[in-house]
Amino acid sequence: MGPFTSAAGFPVWLDLLIAIIIGIGFGFSLEQAGFSSSRKLAGMFYGYDTTVLKVFFTAAIVALVGSQFLSYFGLLNLNLVFVNEYYVTSAIVGGVIMGLGFIMGGFCPGTGVCAMSIGKIDALFYVLGGLTGAFLFAETYPLIRPFAEDAYRGPVKVNEVLGLSPGVFTLLLIVAAVAMFWVAEIAEKKFARPEITDKI
Amino acid sequence: MNMNPRQKLSVILVLLGLVLAFLPLSGKYSFHGKPDQLLLRALDESSFFTADQVARFVITEDSTVQLIDLRPQQEFNRFSIPGAVNVPYKNMLQKDMESYLGRDVRTIFYANGDRQANYALMIAKGLGFDNTYVMKGGLNEWYRLVMNSSFTGEKITARENALFETRIRARKMFTELNSMPDSLKARYRESKEIERKKLDGGCE
Repeated sequence: MGPFTSAAGFPVWLDLLIAIIIGIGFGFSLEQAGFSSSRKLAGMFYGYDTTVLKVFFTAAIVALVGSQFLSYFGLLNLNLVFVNEYYVTSAIVGGVIMGLGFIMGGFCPGTGVCAMSIGKIDALFYVLGGLTGAFLFAETYPLIRPFAEDAYRGPVKVNEVLGLSPGVFTLLLIVAAVAMFWVAEIAEKKFARPEITDKI
Repeated sequence: MNMNPRQKLSVILVLLGLVLAFLPLSGKYSFHGKPDQLLLRALDESSFFTADQVARFVITEDSTVQLIDLRPQQEFNRFSIPGAVNVPYKNMLQKDMESYLGRDVRTIFYANGDRQANYALMIAKGLGFDNTYVMKGGLNEWYRLVMNSSFTGEKITARENALFETRIRARKMFTELNSMPDSLKARYRESKEIERKKLDGGCE
């Protein structure tokens, strides 16, 4: 049956409208979870606040469980769902750049826009910086291209590489997530910084 | 035991994960394809076989072809094309589709006319079984072309001769099968079923 957009052949404007509605919902949830505060985001790095880990991991496993149940009942064809392609080199280098930007700027791209929308000036400059970087990347892409497309692995899924069924992999991921949440809560107590967390 | 909401959520997620780990997740039977593209694929000339082509498959007992009779079981028991297997249209989705559509042979649907066979074709193609076809005109066309055709001209060309030869041999096989007593007919069909299962292999 689903994904609706490819199964029913929605026109482009409807696809975009759905994207905007989902985007508003996503931004609202991010803001409500406190992700528009760079103190909270940086807390992940220093260990005094691990909300980022908990929220994102919970979202991921809920989506994983939900989509697999929908697939089991024949409501969603997971073969038609987009899988991001894996370029090993650029994934590693991009991850390092992203992590550095995250800890220096105090936001990730999504939360930066989120914080800007509630009027944070640091977030405004953060987003401007991000857009500048995107512009420079696009302009220099011909030079970067051989490097960016290095070690291409295609749209691989972790469970296929490990030779596990999607269900078993989901279970392992959930168990790992719960274990991480537990460790994260211990870390929050150990590295507590009340003088920062009280202001969030 | 007192649990805070986070612990409760964790327990629920782990339990759901356990259920998922034991579910056979295939997603194979999901219907997909945009309606217009699906229609084009199903209406494509290459999805059809004429009754004459089917007659040729029947007399050569072509093993790369499987005929599927979509009529109700009583009608199928009265008469059917030799080699055909009965999958009533109403039960099409209830049966294990993999067992008769997932094999590496061309599957040809037929019913009395065109309508049900074309519906079945759309369903099969939508579910990803691309090696599926329809006998154009169904049994009505089979009767007109194969069972009731006769030559009335003066001279016959070699091509026409071959065509009529095929028709007459198919007619003979059809009459032989369908004039058998019911018990023998049933045994013949059973043998076809078993042959099919043997081919499938695996754990049955």
